[in-house]
Amino acid sequence: MLISGKGVLRPTRRDLLAGGAALAGSGLLPGMVRAQPAEGGTVKVGLLVPLSGIYSRFGQLMRMGAELGIKHVNEQGGVPSLGGAKLELRLFDAGDSTEKAKNAAQRMVADNPDLVACSGAYLSSFTLSATEVTERAELPMLTLSYSDLITTRGFRYVFQTSAKAGDQAKEALPILLDLAQRAAGKRPETVAILTDNTASSLSFVQPIRENAAKFGLRIVMDETFTPPLSDATQLIQKVRSARPDVMVMPITVISDVKLLIEKMNEFGLGRGRVPTIGNGIAMAQSDLLQNIRPAQMEGFITVVGNWDAKGQEAIIEEFKRVSGEPWMGQNSIATYGDIWIMRDALEKAGRADRRAVAEALRTIDITGGAALYYPGRRVKFDATGLRETAGPVVVQWQNNRPVTVYPGDSATAEIFWLKR
Amino acid sequence: MMPQLEGLLQALNAGLLLGAHYGLMCVGLSLIFGVMRVINFAHGDFMMVGMYAAFHLFTLMGLGALFGKEAGPFIAALLAGPVLFVLGYAAQRFLLSRVTGTRVGSLEGEGHYAQLILTLGLSLILQSGGQILFGSVPVSIPSDISSEAWEIDLADGALVLFINQARAWGAAIAAVLVVLLVLVITRSRLGKSLRAAADNVQAALYMGIDVDRAHRITFGLGVGITAVAGGLLASSYPFTPYVGLEYVIIMYAGVVLGGLGSTVGAFWGGLLIGVIQQCSALLLPTQLQNTAIFVVFLLVVFLRPQGLLGRVSERT
Repeated sequence: MLISGKGVLRPTRRDLLAGGAALAGSGLLPGMVRAQPAEGGTVKVGLLVPLSGIYSRFGQLMRMGAELGIKHVNEQGGVPSLGGAKLELRLFDAGDSTEKAKNAAQRMVADNPDLVACSGAYLSSFTLSATEVTERAELPMLTLSYSDLITTRGFRYVFQTSAKAGDQAKEALPILLDLAQRAAGKRPETVAILTDNTASSLSFVQPIRENAAKFGLRIVMDETFTPPLSDATQLIQKVRSARPDVMVMPITVISDVKLLIEKMNEFGLGRGRVPTIGNGIAMAQSDLLQNIRPAQMEGFITVVGNWDAKGQEAIIEEFKRVSGEPWMGQNSIATYGDIWIMRDALEKAGRADRRAVAEALRTIDITGGAALYYPGRRVKFDATGLRETAGPVVVQWQNNRPVTVYPGDSATAEIFWLKR
Repeated sequence: MMPQLEGLLQALNAGLLLGAHYGLMCVGLSLIFGVMRVINFAHGDFMMVGMYAAFHLFTLMGLGALFGKEAGPFIAALLAGPVLFVLGYAAQRFLLSRVTGTRVGSLEGEGHYAQLILTLGLSLILQSGGQILFGSVPVSIPSDISSEAWEIDLADGALVLFINQARAWGAAIAAVLVVLLVLVITRSRLGKSLRAAADNVQAALYMGIDVDRAHRITFGLGVGITAVAGGLLASSYPFTPYVGLEYVIIMYAGVVLGGLGSTVGAFWGGLLIGVIQQCSALLLPTQLQNTAIFVVFLLVVFLRPQGLLGRVSERT
């Protein structure tokens, strides 16, 4: 550094270079210096999920799926276009609130300028807040979260692999109503809506509230509660009074599933007397086996973004053996697939650079490889970041476990509708 | 008219049964505050440990096999009490005794700042330790009666009351325990020493009462009673190491409603919270269930700061 005759600081070219290098190293210049020489080395990818707090179980399942994905990618040669570079998984704890999820995302981008992509963040509300951060950092984020808002904000670095909750309801409900008509000889005419107030559940019921008449349904009960419930008596009492032909019940917390299902059985409404359609993983989570008699779940239907499917038997068996889980649900299978999408995007990009990976994700169009782990069996994102062929997967409890019954090419069992 | 009446009776029934469980939790917290003047922020987490103790007594220690899935969960819940009594006794002996009892005179704010930090720290340790030890998978005690009800037909099928069997037995056990505790506190020599330690530490010392021992027993009893309440809920409510957070606010509200330092008042406070929580859903959107609790809580704080059965000197 030179000081001129007037006492003014006059930086030299060497000072500028050193300062620039320091800034780049500190990660203060987002998007400017991120390309990593990964030839034969490792490429870091992130997983931002709840690893502590009340949602940590779901984060652990996503972690198991991601770790298996990393293992398989690396065993199968890593990223060939980067000289066989291996993937390295970095874990970040999204905690149990949107604020913690956002803070974790901030730490993730600040401390890890060499991350090229990430997956997360379980709850839609967590994903919505975390992507505010990853978008500014130009870090591509893949998500299974359902909320309609995720890809309607004009963001360019978020990629939603599942069908949006509203679309899941719009697509799945007519299929299920037709099925009911065939099975019971009468199309359901009345519907009860019982939902928690999480973002994805509300997105799921919104089109039903708005278009009930189009579906040929009359809403006879509409209740929204804040999870977790302490007791389900009042809610199920209202169902008992309303006597609906079908109930739509998207629930996200396992304790609420137990309270509601047991109360339905207690009031004589369970096991198909009021056919019930849920949304999301909580009604098909393996943890239910430790909390509720599986016979009480028989026939319950839930609409999800992903589930284990025909053609994935080998991976599912390995997952079950490694993890000790009784099945590979959507959190594990989708996160496993996300790792493969990252690998395919890196292969297409040819550079371990987050902007190049994002660009590759915008133009990727594959029907093999990673696409095998998603319903519709194709990975192609539209301009908003939503996977184009993402549709609902319908899962039903049959013989003490939830099985895929729709779409046909993924189904491992036939759906049935319990007669009242 | 009948559906509305049925809804009201069902809400009252659910509120009273759940409220009795809340009441028992509140009694444990109130006992600790009343005798030791400690605001125990780890109380919900001690309850969580109690729930896991009951769960493991039932599953690993063979109570389930021995007593079956009807009586077994209740026996496990009752036995969780002594387990947590020992844990609470040790926690008071080795940790809390440094910031309570006869030593607090020399501490800033009569030790309340230190108590606050210590119990908050304990809460975090119990939550994180619980996750390491028990994992994050929600569990509950298998019960054959958690989804069974006695159906009482009050009007030829037009008005049927469903009384959940697990909750009803749990509420009955809670009520009996509170009566026993009140008898111990009011009639026994041990109870007198606890009350003496609560009223005036110095005077109790001069009368030859071992105040530190009284505090150890109080803390053990407080967390033990709450552990039983948690154990009674554990067959109908899946829990994780973070379950305490869901109940600790309700416990505080119940204790303040009933009157700080009043054991019986705390039980009524918890009972009232259960009834308000369930009956509010008849008039308000279900989302506002817990809001209704805190509206009533604020009204009590404004209009009767000493709580329903508290002394005027014990204002919120």
